[in-house]
Amino acid sequence: MSGTHTDAAISRRVRKLEALLEERGIVAGAALDEALDAFLAGSSPLNGARIVARAWTDPAFKERLLADGTSAVAELGYAAGGVQPQRLRVVENTARTHNVVVCTLCSCYPVRLLGPSPSWYKSEAYRSRVVREPRAVLAEFGCVLPADTEITVWDSSAETRYLVLPRRPAGTDDLTEQALTDLVTRNALIGTATL
Amino acid sequence: MTDRFASGARVRTVHHDPTHHTRLPRYARGKRGVIVEPEGRHPLADIRSQGRGDAPLEQVYAVRFAARELWGEGDHEVVLDLWESYLEPEAEAGH
Amino acid sequence: MARINDVGGMTGFGPVVTADDPDDTEPFHADWEARVFALNSALVREGVYNLDEFRDAVETMPPGEYLAASYYERWFHAIRVLLERKGVVAAGELDD
Repeated sequence: MSGTHTDAAISRRVRKLEALLEERGIVAGAALDEALDAFLAGSSPLNGARIVARAWTDPAFKERLLADGTSAVAELGYAAGGVQPQRLRVVENTARTHNVVVCTLCSCYPVRLLGPSPSWYKSEAYRSRVVREPRAVLAEFGCVLPADTEITVWDSSAETRYLVLPRRPAGTDDLTEQALTDLVTRNALIGTATL
Repeated sequence: MTDRFASGARVRTVHHDPTHHTRLPRYARGKRGVIVEPEGRHPLADIRSQGRGDAPLEQVYAVRFAARELWGEGDHEVVLDLWESYLEPEAEAGH
Repeated sequence: MARINDVGGMTGFGPVVTADDPDDTEPFHADWEARVFALNSALVREGVYNLDEFRDAVETMPPGEYLAASYYERWFHAIRVLLERKGVVAAGELDD
């Protein structure tokens, strides 16, 4: 990351830009604050975790989620999109298949459902390699899959955002939906971890 | 407007190499794949990225590629979201 | 012609820095990053430019600068380029 010297310089320049845009009536600082607060309050991996826990406990919801992710998460009050509306596609891990998500060209990510993406997701190392050698990359996350697991890498290159539906861990039959939500990690929702 | 490709159709990506923005990455140009599903119509990013208002609305498809086709090796698959004009039909027994 | 953002399948970027990145517990690492994020959203919403133009402006950074820049430094660069191109700010107006 940038050092503090660079940070001070760029933060001065960003302030200058914001003041200039405000002066010209293009943006309003208060509206920016509001939009940012709303974004941060509404965008978190907890949303994705809740969707997964619901799918694990409600087979009809799971069926709708896999058939039409956009509409199914809307039932729970969620949308995939950022600035523009986006389609959500949920991809399910099974005993034989594993899914992992990337955006090799930039950093497309279901921000409303997962919050802002982690640094590694935006890194050249992840973007360049996961489409070429997913097993090696997953192993760096400590995620080692059986040799016969079929891996699909979803490279989000348009207006669809992908969310992985991880396998429900064994021995969780007695857990409540809330307790299941707590088990779901951000990496599992991206596909760089299993649960 | 009807979609040019149905789910399961075999396609080949065009081998374009534009100087402008595009969503068909280098690694998937001129490669054979299979349509997974249509995703809905969207303005072609290649044109819209130039600030033009005349970007055609095209169907975008999820297209599945075998790692072997993309890289010459590997046992995984890669799915990309590709605009219709990136795709050409591929003959059934094509090589 | 390929742009520097088109990295799928490239080698040389090393292992993925995965777990326990302390930066990743917070969505933004500095307040200016949050402002850049919010500014970009507002400018797209206001129709000053669209998201594809924004992506284009990130991708056309000179490759050396792109690789040396942090994620939101790239964003800030793209916003400046687009605002100058659209005539919202004059060339050089945002320089120190």
